[in-house]
Amino acid sequence: MLPEKIHQNLETSRAMHPGWQDKDHLIRQLVNNARDHADQIALRERDRGIWQEYTWRDYLERVMALAAGLETLGVGPGDRILVVGDNRPALYFGMLAAVTLRAVPSPAYPDTNPQEIQAQMEAESIRCALVEDQEQVDKLLGIRVAGYGHLDHILFDDPRGLKDKEPRGALALGDLLARGRARLERESNLAQDLQSRPSVHDTAVLLHSSGTTGAPKGIPLKHGHILSGVRNASQAGYFREGEVHMAYLPMAWVGDFIFTIGAALVLRFCVNIPERQETALHDLREIAPTLYFGSPRAWSNMLTRIQVGINESTGLKRRLYHHFMPFAVELERRRLAGQAPTAAERFWRAVGEVLIFGPLKDQLGLARVERPYTAGEAMGEDVFLFFRALGLNLRQFYGQTENCALCVAQPLDSISLHTAGRPFPGVALKISDDGEILVRSDNIFDGYFNNPEATAETLQDGWMHTGDAGYLEEDGQLVVLGRVSEVVHTRAGERFIPTYVENRLKFSHYIKDACILGKDRDYLAALIVIDIDAVGHWAEENGVAYTSFADLSQKPQVYELVRKEVAHVNAVLPDALEIRRFVNLHKEFDPDDGEVTRTRKLRRKVIDAHYAPIIESLYDGRSAIEFEARISYETGESGILKRHLAVADVVGARLAEEV
Amino acid sequence: MFYRLSGIHHTRYESARALWPVTADRRIIQGLLLLALAAPFLLSDLYLTSYMLPWLIWTAAALSLTLLMGIAGQLHFGFAAVMAIGAYTSIHLTRAGVPFELALLGAGLMAALIGCLFGAAALRVKGLYLVMATLAMQYLVEWTIINVPAISGGAQATLSTPDVTFLFVPLQSDGALYYTALLWTVVVTLLIMNIKRSSFGRALVAVRDKDFAASVIGVNPLRYKLLAFFASSFLGGVTGAVLAFCYYQAVTPEQFGFNVSIQLVAMVLVGGLGSVIGAYLGAGFVLLLPIVLTNLLAFVAQFDLIPISFNLLSHIPLMVYGALIIGVILFEPLGLAKIYDNIRKYFLVWPFRHTQS
Repeated sequence: MLPEKIHQNLETSRAMHPGWQDKDHLIRQLVNNARDHADQIALRERDRGIWQEYTWRDYLERVMALAAGLETLGVGPGDRILVVGDNRPALYFGMLAAVTLRAVPSPAYPDTNPQEIQAQMEAESIRCALVEDQEQVDKLLGIRVAGYGHLDHILFDDPRGLKDKEPRGALALGDLLARGRARLERESNLAQDLQSRPSVHDTAVLLHSSGTTGAPKGIPLKHGHILSGVRNASQAGYFREGEVHMAYLPMAWVGDFIFTIGAALVLRFCVNIPERQETALHDLREIAPTLYFGSPRAWSNMLTRIQVGINESTGLKRRLYHHFMPFAVELERRRLAGQAPTAAERFWRAVGEVLIFGPLKDQLGLARVERPYTAGEAMGEDVFLFFRALGLNLRQFYGQTENCALCVAQPLDSISLHTAGRPFPGVALKISDDGEILVRSDNIFDGYFNNPEATAETLQDGWMHTGDAGYLEEDGQLVVLGRVSEVVHTRAGERFIPTYVENRLKFSHYIKDACILGKDRDYLAALIVIDIDAVGHWAEENGVAYTSFADLSQKPQVYELVRKEVAHVNAVLPDALEIRRFVNLHKEFDPDDGEVTRTRKLRRKVIDAHYAPIIESLYDGRSAIEFEARISYETGESGILKRHLAVADVVGARLAEEV
Repeated sequence: MFYRLSGIHHTRYESARALWPVTADRRIIQGLLLLALAAPFLLSDLYLTSYMLPWLIWTAAALSLTLLMGIAGQLHFGFAAVMAIGAYTSIHLTRAGVPFELALLGAGLMAALIGCLFGAAALRVKGLYLVMATLAMQYLVEWTIINVPAISGGAQATLSTPDVTFLFVPLQSDGALYYTALLWTVVVTLLIMNIKRSSFGRALVAVRDKDFAASVIGVNPLRYKLLAFFASSFLGGVTGAVLAFCYYQAVTPEQFGFNVSIQLVAMVLVGGLGSVIGAYLGAGFVLLLPIVLTNLLAFVAQFDLIPISFNLLSHIPLMVYGALIIGVILFEPLGLAKIYDNIRKYFLVWPFRHTQS
C-alpha cells in the first residue's frame, strides 16, 4: 500500500476514534507482559505427548525475530498475509510478527478448498502466506499453477516432507526465525524500532464473514476494536486475568483471534494448544482450563458422548447417573424459574457432586472451568440445562465478527433460557422500527474490506445493523429470533424463520442437520441428516444391521425414529407450520460440495439446486424417489451415484390425538 | 470417583514416566507408608512380630522371585535354597566378625553366584526342564547344608544369629527388627518398580515373551537370563539373611525346605505374576490367611453348634485354604493384583465403563 494512503487512513481513524491512545496496541501489551511477567507461561503446545512451554519472554523474542525475518522478505505496512492451518504457536507468533510490521494477517479455514482460497488471495492481492504444513503448501502451489502468480513467499511451520526440498518461494519458519535472530543481533536497535511501529489505528486482522449469502466479505478489525471489546468484557467480569484457555477453535474464526490473541495479551492468559484436532478432547482433560468456549454443537456432542458412555456403563454407575442427573436438571430448571432449593435438596445435590457430577466434569476436563461459554446459534434447552445442572455456569454470548463477537452476554445473576442477555458495558443497543437489532460501540469495525456498498448498508449513522431480528424484554435482556433476511412465507402467507425450526430439530441428538423447506409452498417439509454416531449407536442397541451412512439412513426403523423426533418438534409449532413430510438424506451436508459454510451454516440456494428432485418429491405426494447424487471427490473430480430414498409423512402430534 | 485426572499434564517425559502420576494413587501410597511407619505404635507386639514382620520379609522374598518368574519368565522351584544360602552366609560372616551391612552384601553375592550356577541351566532348557534343574538345586543345597558340618554346625543343629548392629542401631528390640525389615522391603519394592520401567526390565520382558524374538531385536537372551538369575538370587539371598536375623534368629535347614519353595511360588502365582502389589497381596494371602482361618474356626467352634472333632478342626483351615487358592486362580488367573487392578479401573473410569478419550 502507498505510504500516503496509509497516512490518510490513519488520520481518518484518529478522527473516528478520538478516545484511542496511539501507542496502546497489541504489541505494546505483549512487550509489557514480557517485561513484567517474563517467566510466566504464556503458551503451551502439546507435542509428541508432552507440553512444550513458552514464557512471555520467549513469546516476545519469537515475535520480534519473525518480524525481523519477515521484513527481509519485503513484508511491509498494509500488506496482507494469508494464514492457513490448525492452531500452532508458530502461526500465532507469525501473525503477531506481521502485525508488528503493520501488515495484516488474513486467516482462512484450513479445510477451505483451493478455489475459495484463490478467490480470497485475488481479492486481497496476497503475496506472502503463512501455513502449517506440507498439505497447505501443496494447496498454495496448486493455486500458483492455476494462475495466481503473485504469491512470492510461502512460509511453513512443520518441515515434515519439505525439508531440503522446499519448492520455489517456500521457506521454513524455523529458518526465517534464525535469519531474524541474526538480524536482531547485528542491529541492536531493531527490536526497539519494531516495537514502536504499530499504532492502535492499524488493522490487526482481516477476518471474513461466513458467506451464507454470496461470497465472503472481508472484515478488518483494528487494535482499538479488539482492545476495547476485550476490556469491556473483562470489566463486566466475563474474563479474568490469567485464565487458562484452550485454543482449539479454527484460527479463521473471530473468537479465536479475540480469545487467543486479544484477550490473552491483555489479560495474560495461559493459552494451550492441542496436539491435533483429533486429540483436542483428550488434551482438554490434561489441561483442565478455567475458561472454555464451545459452539452449541460442541456442547451437544459432549452431551451425546456422555449419554452413550452412560448407556454402555455398568449397572450401579448407570443407576446412580439416572437418579442424580434428572434430579439436578429439575433443580436447575426450578432455580432458573427463581425457586431456591431446600436444604435437603442442596445436601442431596452435594452427594451427587461427589458421586456423579464431579467425576463427570473431571472426565470431560471441565473440572476447573469457571467461565464456560457458548455462542453462534441457539442452544437446545436440554443441553443448556444439562451442563448447568452439572454445576457449570454455562452462559451464552451474542455477537458478530463485525463487533469482535463481543456484544451481548448473559449476566451471572439473571439467566433465562430464551434470552441472549444484556449488552456489555460500553455497548449501546436498540431495536429498529422493523425489528432489527442495532448496536453501537467502540468495538464495532469501521467498514468492510474494499466493499463500500456493503459498508454503507451495515453501518448507518454509527449504528451497526446486525441483520438479526429480535426484541428487548422488560428487564433489558435481548431475545434473538433469527436473521431478518431469512424470514420467509408459505403460500398461505404464514411467516416463519427456517433456522429457528431447524435448530429445534437439531436439539434431538439423532439429527445432525436439517433443512426446512416451505417458501411459497403449501406446507413445511424437511431434509434430515441423521447423526451417524447417535443413530449408529441406537441401531446397535436395537439390533438394526447396517453397512453405511446411506444404508442406515434409509432403514424403516430409522425413519420411525426420526418421525418421532419431528412429531415432537411439531407439537410446539403452530398448526400451519407443522412439518408434514421429510426425507432422510443419504449423506451429510458437506462444505466441499458448497452445501454448508465452513462454520456449518446452510447455503440454501446450493441445497435447493443439489436436491431439487428430492424437494419436488416432498411436495408431489410420492413415497420414494430414485435420486442421482452427484458427488465431488477430494481430487476435484465428480461422479454420479444412484440412491433410492424414501419419503415419509409425519402424523402430527395433534392429528394423532384427534384420531 | 476418587480418581481425578483432569489437569495432570507433563512438560517432560520424566514426569510422564513417574511411578505414580495420579494424585489418588500417590495419596494411597503415602497413607500406607505412614501406617507402616506407625505400626510399632499401633499394633501389639504379638501382631507386630508374628504377623507384620514375616509378611514384610516374605513380601520381599516374593518380590525377588517375581522378578525372575514374572518379569523374566524363568521358573524357579528352589528359591528357598537361594534364601538358605543367604541366611547361612550372613551368619557365618558375622560370626567371623564381618559387619552386618557387609555380611548382607556377602550373603547376596554368594546366593547370586550359586543361583547363577544353576540358572545357567536356563540357558539350555525351558519350562518343565528348568523346574527340574531348579528342584535339583533345592535338594543339592539342602543336602550340602545338612551334610557339611562347617555350614550347618552339625546335623540337626540350630545355628543362632549373633548380636549385630545395623546402621549403628543394635538389632535387639522389636522396633529395630521391624524397621530393618520394612526398609529392606521398601528398597526391594522401589527397585522392582524401577526395573519394570527401565530398559533392563523391558529386555527381561522381551526374553520372557519369546527369547528368540528378543534376540532378533537385539536383546541377548543369554545375558539377560543370567542377569535375571543374578539379580533375583542376590535379592533372595539378602532377604534370606534378613529373614534369619530379623525373624527366625536361629536357623535350621528345615526352615528352607522344599515346601517353602512351593509356598513362595504360590505367593507369586496367587498374587499375580510380575506384579509388585501382587507380591504383597500374595504373601499376605499365603502367610496370613491360614492363621485367620484357624482363628475364625476356633471362634465358631466355641459355640458348639456342630460337633467337630479336634482332628477335623485342624484340617478344615487347610481344606478351605486350598479351595481358596484354586478359587482365586480360577476366578482370576492373573492373580490378586489383577483383582485390585480391576477395582481400581472401575473407579478410574467412573461413571463410565471405559476410558472416554
